[in-house]
Amino acid sequence: MNSLQGLLYGLSIAATPGNLLAAFAGAFAGTAIGVLPGLGPVAGVALILPLTFSLDPTAGLIMMAGIFYGSMYGGSTTAILLNIPGESASVVTAIDGYQLAKKGRAGATLTIVAVGSFVGGTLAVIGVMMFSSLLAKVAILFGPAEFFALTAGGLIVMSRISGGTLASALLPMTLGLMLGTIGQEAVTGETRFTFGLPELAEGVSLVPVVVGLYGFAELMLLVEDRIHAANRPESVAMRDLLPTRTEWKRAVPSWLRGTFLGFLFGLVPGPAATLASFASYRLEKATSKHGSEIGSGAIEGVAGPEAANNSAATASLVPLLALGIPFTPIAALMISAMLVQGIQPGPLLITQHPEIFWGLIASAYIGNVMLLALNIPMVGVWVSLLRIPHYLFIPLLLVLSVIGTYSVRNSIFDVWVLLAAGVVGYAFNKMKFQLAPLVVGLILGPNIEKHFREALFLSQGDPWIYVESPIAVTVWLLVALILIAGFIARRRAAFAGAMAQESSL
Amino acid sequence: MRFRLNFHLMAWAGFALMAGVAGLSHPAPAADEWPTREITFYVPYAPGGSTDPISRKYSELLEKQLKVKVIVENKPGASATIGTGAVIRAKPDGYTIGLGSSSSLAYQPLEMKGLAWKSADDYQSIAKLSDLPVILAVPAESRWKNLDDFLADAKANPRKLKVSVSGLRSVNDIAIQQLNKLSGLRIATVPFTGGGGEATLAALGGRVDGTAGFAPGMKGQIDAGKLRVLAVFQDGKYDLLPDAKPIGETPWKDTFPVGYYVIAPNGLPKPILDRLLAVSKTIVESDEFKSFLKANGYTSDPKIGDDMKKELAGYDQKFREVVKFLDDDK
Repeated sequence: MNSLQGLLYGLSIAATPGNLLAAFAGAFAGTAIGVLPGLGPVAGVALILPLTFSLDPTAGLIMMAGIFYGSMYGGSTTAILLNIPGESASVVTAIDGYQLAKKGRAGATLTIVAVGSFVGGTLAVIGVMMFSSLLAKVAILFGPAEFFALTAGGLIVMSRISGGTLASALLPMTLGLMLGTIGQEAVTGETRFTFGLPELAEGVSLVPVVVGLYGFAELMLLVEDRIHAANRPESVAMRDLLPTRTEWKRAVPSWLRGTFLGFLFGLVPGPAATLASFASYRLEKATSKHGSEIGSGAIEGVAGPEAANNSAATASLVPLLALGIPFTPIAALMISAMLVQGIQPGPLLITQHPEIFWGLIASAYIGNVMLLALNIPMVGVWVSLLRIPHYLFIPLLLVLSVIGTYSVRNSIFDVWVLLAAGVVGYAFNKMKFQLAPLVVGLILGPNIEKHFREALFLSQGDPWIYVESPIAVTVWLLVALILIAGFIARRRAAFAGAMAQESSL
Repeated sequence: MRFRLNFHLMAWAGFALMAGVAGLSHPAPAADEWPTREITFYVPYAPGGSTDPISRKYSELLEKQLKVKVIVENKPGASATIGTGAVIRAKPDGYTIGLGSSSSLAYQPLEMKGLAWKSADDYQSIAKLSDLPVILAVPAESRWKNLDDFLADAKANPRKLKVSVSGLRSVNDIAIQQLNKLSGLRIATVPFTGGGGEATLAALGGRVDGTAGFAPGMKGQIDAGKLRVLAVFQDGKYDLLPDAKPIGETPWKDTFPVGYYVIAPNGLPKPILDRLLAVSKTIVESDEFKSFLKANGYTSDPKIGDDMKKELAGYDQKFREVVKFLDDDK
């Protein structure tokens, strides 16, 4: 069966009424879950998993995939409207998205995101379909040394992710790295800095930190605004719900760049969607014509990362379907679902269970179309949320954030982390520290350490392992190149600035 | 007018709902009426390994037996001690039970201080679900065609052959260490994290010489001819992978499977305990459960209540011996 036949076969499976319903229900529930702060894709899929046992395996997996895509998209809605990222992959979306919303472009931004998610998802599905057996080899090429290069190099490059001075980024990043060391060390299981609290053994989890830093801090700022002077978002006229011609034009190249980058991230293990959105934001800053506006409300800063995280989410189906090895918690849940239903995941899935392989791929097409159809009409509804008076709105969000955070792992401890992160976020806002580097540090820190240690175990203590493979060396060279190019660009800008000053004298 | 209609409709709906709730809920349920509400089943591991599917299968069948919802919740972390502790510390009312493994129940108390359990006396043994033997596999293109080749090479090159395992002192690591202890060989283990996936990937990518793990995560690769299975760490033939040489056929009786068990907190009321033991017995001896085990390479070995407790007490001693060997070998 070639790809086209496969896809047609898949469509014939995915387009049965039951499976269409499963895709729709998944996408719908996923969007709702993503919109609730704290509740992310993993919680959503875990919730639905027992339900899928009573469905046939294909319908069950299609529904899980629908939730996955839906929640990736839903998470960005609150990031844009309220500066509360619904899940970690929408952290960067909050930076420019919220600025755009403040300028009254919330509707346009949401539309750009919906279409961008569609573009990213759909192009990635085509990639998965055409090259999945080939691409599966990419994952095999990456071992601890290569991942160490990717994550440690990524940390260095992303230190400048959200602009500002270097110091205002490095301090939060260091704090993020330090938080990342709390809990069990990944390889040996030794616990560190837990002060005897069993809750800390699992480490500081990402969701309460992200929702706290952004969401809680933002609510505090809103309350403060209310005291100073009402600073309400302007009411949005109907025509402002749609992007302008320039906005469309500016979004297209960002979508394409984001899709490509996200696809690459999806192929290798790790928190692909989150990292892809961060990397795409950084890439937009470096390559977009309007790069200098990013951070203060540029459409590229939203379009790129959103296409990237959807593309990564889709591409992460490759290692799942072609290798049967889960790289993400969601893929792991999907494998569990297959095993319970008596299906052996692995390289033979495509021949032994073509209905699952192609059905899942076809459902990704359908799911993306459904998300678009579901969400474009919703844009107006979401934007109108901004008109809810603050005295109702703030307590409502407070309660939703607490419930969402609690429900991720049923931990009241996480709620305290949420509150603490909120205070830190508020203080950092006031002191003009950047928040994104803290999140980057917290995500990458444990990964860097884990791959660092795994590599040393693998080489039995020989440090040359880090620079022995061509992939690792290439990654390090790229990092050096980006740093040097950035340095030269800043020097030039400073020089030009100095010249301009001189000539004006 | 329309508003009024909706209002009436809602009032009726609300009334019906309340009536329904009132009809369903019993005031102060007694122990002999158990269960009256949903039961939570904690899995102390993340999904994606061999622990999650078996837990979900048991829960699915338990749900059918007891006619209440059984919610499976993954509570991973700290080498499975967080989720296991959550079960052991729970209120003994029959509404919280969970999965334990020979590793989390018998090995971790030797390594970690301050756990809520030191021995099988500290929790209620319900039922043994299965054993799962460790298997050893090598990349398909490697030069070892069978276990004898591999062991001969290991003998010629002590501490040179590397076998990836899913974590430091995980059961698959311990199986290899036990082989080292019994045979005098020194096969090096390379611990990976994040479940068996990364350890398998390291073997597929040729970064290690072999990988020790469990069939549910590796069978797909073996079937596809990407990995070659050399050995199974049990006495007799492994039906799922007949090519694997049983370690029982070598001079070393290194059979160190991982056992999966259902546990509950101590102090369950007698009627609840009896019912739970009875339905668990029905489940683990049922054809549906057994065919699930067989299809996924688990070994059925039903042991209920005190029989299970005895087995775990035996593991305690076995683990102590391996720990001593590892300490002496440092």
